[in-house]
Amino acid sequence: MEKSAENKIIQDLLPQKFGKKGKFWVIGLLAICALGAFAYGRQLYYGLEVTGLRDYVSWGIYISNFVFFVAISLVGSLITAVLRLTNVHWSTPLTRIAEIIAVSAITFASLIIIVDMGRPERFYNLFLHGRLQSPIIWDVIVITTYFFISLLLLYFPLLPDLKIMIAFKERNGKWLQKLYEFLGSFWKNKPEQFKITNKAINILSISIIPVAFAIHTVTSWLFATTYRPGWDSTNFGAYFISGAFLVGSGGVLIAMYVFRAHYKLEKYITDDHFDRMGKVVVLLALLYLYFNVNEFLVPAFKMKKSEEEHLLGLFTGEFAPVFWFAIFTAMIIPIGILLFKNGRKPKAAFVAGILVVVGSWFKRYLIVTPTLLHPFLPMHDVPANYKHYFPSWEEWAIAGGSLAGALLVITFFARIFPIIPIHETIIETESHENKNN
Amino acid sequence: MKTKTINIIGLFFILLVVLPELLLAQAVEKNTLSLTLKYYNDNNITHHLLVQAKSKIDGKFQKIAHIPVQFYITNDTEKKNLIGSGVTNEKGEYVVVIPAAAKEEWLKSPNQNFVVVGEATPKFDEGRAEVSITKAKLKIDTVEGKIITAKLIALVDTTWTPISGVDVVLGVKRLGGVLNANETLTYTTDSSGTVKAEFKRDSIPGDAKENIILVASVIDNDVYGNLSAELAAPWGAKTIYTTNFDHRSLFARRGHSPIWLELLAYGIVAAVWAVIIYLLFQIRTIKKLGLE
Repeated sequence: MEKSAENKIIQDLLPQKFGKKGKFWVIGLLAICALGAFAYGRQLYYGLEVTGLRDYVSWGIYISNFVFFVAISLVGSLITAVLRLTNVHWSTPLTRIAEIIAVSAITFASLIIIVDMGRPERFYNLFLHGRLQSPIIWDVIVITTYFFISLLLLYFPLLPDLKIMIAFKERNGKWLQKLYEFLGSFWKNKPEQFKITNKAINILSISIIPVAFAIHTVTSWLFATTYRPGWDSTNFGAYFISGAFLVGSGGVLIAMYVFRAHYKLEKYITDDHFDRMGKVVVLLALLYLYFNVNEFLVPAFKMKKSEEEHLLGLFTGEFAPVFWFAIFTAMIIPIGILLFKNGRKPKAAFVAGILVVVGSWFKRYLIVTPTLLHPFLPMHDVPANYKHYFPSWEEWAIAGGSLAGALLVITFFARIFPIIPIHETIIETESHENKNN
Repeated sequence: MKTKTINIIGLFFILLVVLPELLLAQAVEKNTLSLTLKYYNDNNITHHLLVQAKSKIDGKFQKIAHIPVQFYITNDTEKKNLIGSGVTNEKGEYVVVIPAAAKEEWLKSPNQNFVVVGEATPKFDEGRAEVSITKAKLKIDTVEGKIITAKLIALVDTTWTPISGVDVVLGVKRLGGVLNANETLTYTTDSSGTVKAEFKRDSIPGDAKENIILVASVIDNDVYGNLSAELAAPWGAKTIYTTNFDHRSLFARRGHSPIWLELLAYGIVAAVWAVIIYLLFQIRTIKKLGLE
């Protein structure tokens, strides 16, 4: 490969300073985060009374958000590990995008759990007095483990890129240069170093798959081990994992489009990437649709008395608009768009990605809230506000703040590190050229 | 004219004072309190009295709680004869065990009278009930072939004499009640004061020594009151009490998880974290290689 071509790739992929749009984007996200922090301050001061959460719906949008974050984080294992282990090379430019989505999402999944607690200062008791039989303790363990594996999976492939970035001292500025040197000054492109790194990435790719499956299966068991209409299902683990892969892939479609448009990466994130990623999303949407049919059709066919109110509430009742909105936006419309070649063009795929992510968020809301409103053993003479749930502005602000926070992490990561692996892209281009020659 | 006005005002004030009094007098009309007193001889060891307070309200007899009651031995409600006092519970009942202090009075005669007095309350009149019993004993025994026998004797003058023609229930204690020994509900004592019943309940759970509690009882007899006698017999099925409480299970409390789960969970966590720690050491190796 010619040096000039290599330099061109490096110049194209080096992280860039925020432009006017970027600054507005960051300020906007910071403002949303600040509002969320203010709302959380109010919640800490006045207690959970400021929320719409009551004895029936004690989880609400906080836990919907938690499930959403855990779900979207699974994409890291899909793109980085599954596709890497199956020798799929087209996904190379997308691995870092997927990994940073995973890290930021899992970070905010952990935080949002604490937000749902009325007395967060007692969180440490979960570690001191955790009950091993409870899926809650498994969730804590597996989320922590997944976070560290994802972080390592982000770090190892970054090492050769750090060496490249350290070379641009003037461009980096003092602080970034110090950070790059701290993280990777010891990388000398030695074959032994590459050997260890490749081995580590392979080990991580293998390890992260069961951990990823565990993280979302355990999250599903938080619900499925509780005897309630809508949660009393043996299908929940697979149903959650398929949904998680779908929302994560939808998130990657959005990120691909935004990074490509903003950083002018058309050469690296090509139409072909959208085409292939679109096909992956169609496959996952069909899979998730299949699990949804299982999840709702079988109980609806039996229509047990105890589940009737819950199911009818979803199909034709109070939650029907949100239910059908979620089914259509998260699955049916994206399938309709992405099944066709033109639908897998960047703009259309981006729209499909947004639909998947938005629909999936509401899908998580529907998994949590309607079930909590319909316990098998309802309390007598409960206040009217127990029987209906609508989040207060504080809950919306905190949930919005957490989503903005996750986007901020991704944004700052893209500002500091190359969002497309530089070294791997050079190697891929080289091998591609060699094959052509 | 002036006198007429004064008279009307005077009448108005008289009505104002008298009318509420009249209405109040109607409002506080009390209900009649009906008391029932029963005597119990428990296994020839203790004796107790039970009072039941009732009143007919809205055409129905209802149990009356919170009635202060005093129990007296003999018909004389003098203080020296007071053997106990209390307040009726939510079921309108109160029980008093006849104290040892009443022994002197108890030994005076083969017959005994008891009186209970219910104090008047704002809603109820005073109530009174009496019970008169002839002192009797019911003895229970077994004979070979799983036969329960019971003998009723009563004090006639100074002699304990067998009593015939009294209904006796023979059974076994079961789930807070008495289960009959067989299909026959009651047996009538013969001239020797004895009843016999074949025990046909083979599958009754007993204790660890197969013991079950056999019971003979005379219920609400007009002369002898309520008598009961109990006897343990090894005629039950051996039952060893077992509980899963605090055993290691998926549903047990913290620290009592099943061993297999602990091994599995800690094993997995240790294995995965061993990989993570190994990889962190690999970073150190990479660093060393770079610094060489």
